[in-house]
Amino acid sequence: MIQGAKTLQARTSHYIAVDAVHDELAVPNPFAQAILFFRGGANGNEAPIRIIQGPKTLLSAPDNVAVDPVHREVFTASFPSDSILVFRGDASGDVEPIRILHGPNTKLDRPIRVEVDPTNNVMAVVTDHAILVFNRTDNGDTAPKWIISGPKTGVGTRFSTRDVRLFSEGKKIIAAAAFRGRSSERNEEDAEGRRGGQRFIGVWKYGDNGDIAPWAILNATPITKIPGTRLAINSEGGDLMVGGDGQVSVYHLPEIFQRRD
Amino acid sequence: MANDKESAGTSILVYPTQFQPTNRIMEPRRRVAGPKTDLGMVCGLALSVEHGELYSVSGETGTLNVFPLDAQGNVGPGRRLIGVMPRASAGVFLDVKHDELFITTEHVNRISVYPRTFKQDQEPLRYLQGPATGLADPHGIYVDSETNEIFVSNHGNWHKTETGEGEVRGPDSLTRTSLGYTTPGRALPLAPSTGKFLPPSITVHSRTTSGDAAPLRMIQGPHTLLNLPDGLYRDPVSGEIIVANSGDDSVLFFDKDASGDAAPVRVLKGPATKFKGPAGVSIDAKRNELWVASWDGHVAGVFPRTANGNVAPLRVIRTAPESAPLASMGRIGAVAYDPKRKEILAPN
Repeated sequence: MIQGAKTLQARTSHYIAVDAVHDELAVPNPFAQAILFFRGGANGNEAPIRIIQGPKTLLSAPDNVAVDPVHREVFTASFPSDSILVFRGDASGDVEPIRILHGPNTKLDRPIRVEVDPTNNVMAVVTDHAILVFNRTDNGDTAPKWIISGPKTGVGTRFSTRDVRLFSEGKKIIAAAAFRGRSSERNEEDAEGRRGGQRFIGVWKYGDNGDIAPWAILNATPITKIPGTRLAINSEGGDLMVGGDGQVSVYHLPEIFQRRD
Repeated sequence: MANDKESAGTSILVYPTQFQPTNRIMEPRRRVAGPKTDLGMVCGLALSVEHGELYSVSGETGTLNVFPLDAQGNVGPGRRLIGVMPRASAGVFLDVKHDELFITTEHVNRISVYPRTFKQDQEPLRYLQGPATGLADPHGIYVDSETNEIFVSNHGNWHKTETGEGEVRGPDSLTRTSLGYTTPGRALPLAPSTGKFLPPSITVHSRTTSGDAAPLRMIQGPHTLLNLPDGLYRDPVSGEIIVANSGDDSVLFFDKDASGDAAPVRVLKGPATKFKGPAGVSIDAKRNELWVASWDGHVAGVFPRTANGNVAPLRVIRTAPESAPLASMGRIGAVAYDPKRKEILAPN
C-alpha cells in the first residue's frame, strides 16, 4: 500500500499508470496540479521519485495519466481545458508539454481519460459521449482519425463512457460505460429495463469509425455483476479487470485478447 | 457514524454510547442506507438533538441531506440542499448557537455557510474562498460559537481558486468541473498552473468572516506532527484542539491558543490505541470521554478525555473482526496491472 503524507497523493486519487519498462508508477494529483512518479515497488509512506508540477506545465485538475514506455512520454487529458498534454516521460519539475492537442478540430469536449498504444502509434481519448482516436504524435488542432459514437455504439447515446484501454497486439479498443442515472435511481428501470448506473464493456476494432456496434460486448447481468467503469487489461493472461463499488472483478476473456481476429 | 466504504454500501450507522466492553462485532441499533437515501460517499455528519435532525454531506455530490434523527433503513432525506453548493464536500458542522451549517469542500478550497433552516436552492449566507484564506484541500471543520472561531484541517494540496469557483450555476459556472462529466460548461483556457504542495495545517478563521480573508492563525510546520489531518474537535473543558491525524495513526492535542509550528501538548498513539487511519474525533462532555473512529481499522474507540500516549480504549465498537484486513479500498478511482509483479493496482 502506498499511503501517507510523504507520497503527496490527494485523498481524491482517480488514476494510476504503470510503466513496466522503466518500473515506475505515475499518479495524478488534481488539487496540487501535479503528476507524481513512484518506484514500481513503492510501498508505505514513500515519497515520489520525481514530480511534474509548476506554471509551465499548464496542468489544471489532472485526474488521469497514461505512459508510453517505448517513446518515454506521459499523457494526460485535461478535462477543464479540452486538451491533451504530453510530457517527456522522464520530465521533472516545472516543464512545458512537448505536445498539446487542443482546438476545435480535435473535437475534444470534456475529455476524461487518455490511453496510448506505442506499437501502433495511436492514442484514444474517452469523453462522456465519444471515443476519439488520434495518431500518437498528433499535435495542435488536429482532427481525430476515428470517432466511435452513436446509437449503435452505446457510446454517446444514453451511456456515459468513463475509461478506455488499448490492446495493441490485437488492435482492439476496450471501453467501459454506465447507463445515465443517479445512484438513487438504480432500482428504477426505464422502459427498456435499464437501471441507472447499469454498465457495459464494449470492444471495438482499430479502424472502427462512426456509429458502429461493438465487436464484442460484456453487459452487466446478475452473473457478470460488472462493479464499475475502471479498466485494466492483462493481455498475456487474457484477463480484463474492472474496478468500482469498492472491488475489482477479473474476467477471463481470452477471446478478446487473441492476437488476430 | 458515517460509513463511506462503497463495497459495504455507504451508510449512516447508529450505536449506543454506553455498553459493556466487548471485542466482538457490534450490530448497529439502526442503519440508514439504500438507494432512496442518496447518501453517496457520505463523508461528514452533524446532528441536532434540539431539532431532531441528522445532516450528511457527500464526497461526490453537491448536496446536503437532512434526515430525521430516528431515521432507519432505505428512506429519503426529509430536506435536501441542492443549490449552488460545490461538489465533493468533506466536513459539516452545525453551530447550534447561531443555527448555521458550515461545510468544507476539498476540490475548491472553500467553507460555505448556510442557515440550518435552508431552502432547497438556498444561496450560502457567506463563504470563505481564495488564495489568502490558507485553505488547502480542507477536510474536517469545527466551529466554536463562544470564541467565534472556525477550525479547519487541511491536507495541503493547493491551487489558486477564485471566489465563487465550484458553485453550480449552469453555463455561468466559473468551471465546468462543478457540473460533472455530463453537463457542458465553460472550458478554461490553457493557462499557467498554480498548484503546489503546502505542509498540512489547521487554519483558524473568524466565524463571521467571508470572501478571500486571511486566517486568524495557522498551525503548520514540522513540530506539529500533522499528517493528513482529518476530523477535528475542541475540548469543551480545556479548549484544546483535537485532531484525528489519519496519516500516522494518532490523535494530536494542541493548546487552545496554538499557532505556527507548535508541537502538540499531548499525542495519543501506539498499538494499544488500535488506531488505523483515524478519521473522526468527538468529545462526550457529559461522560468525560473521547471518541475516535478509525476508518482503516473498522473500529471506534472510547478513551478518557485526558488520555495520553499509548493507551488502550475503554471500550470499542467494532464492525469487523480484529483480524480483518485494513479497509483500504473506499472508492476505486482506477485499475492498473503491473505485469512485472503480477499485481493489480487501485488508487482510492
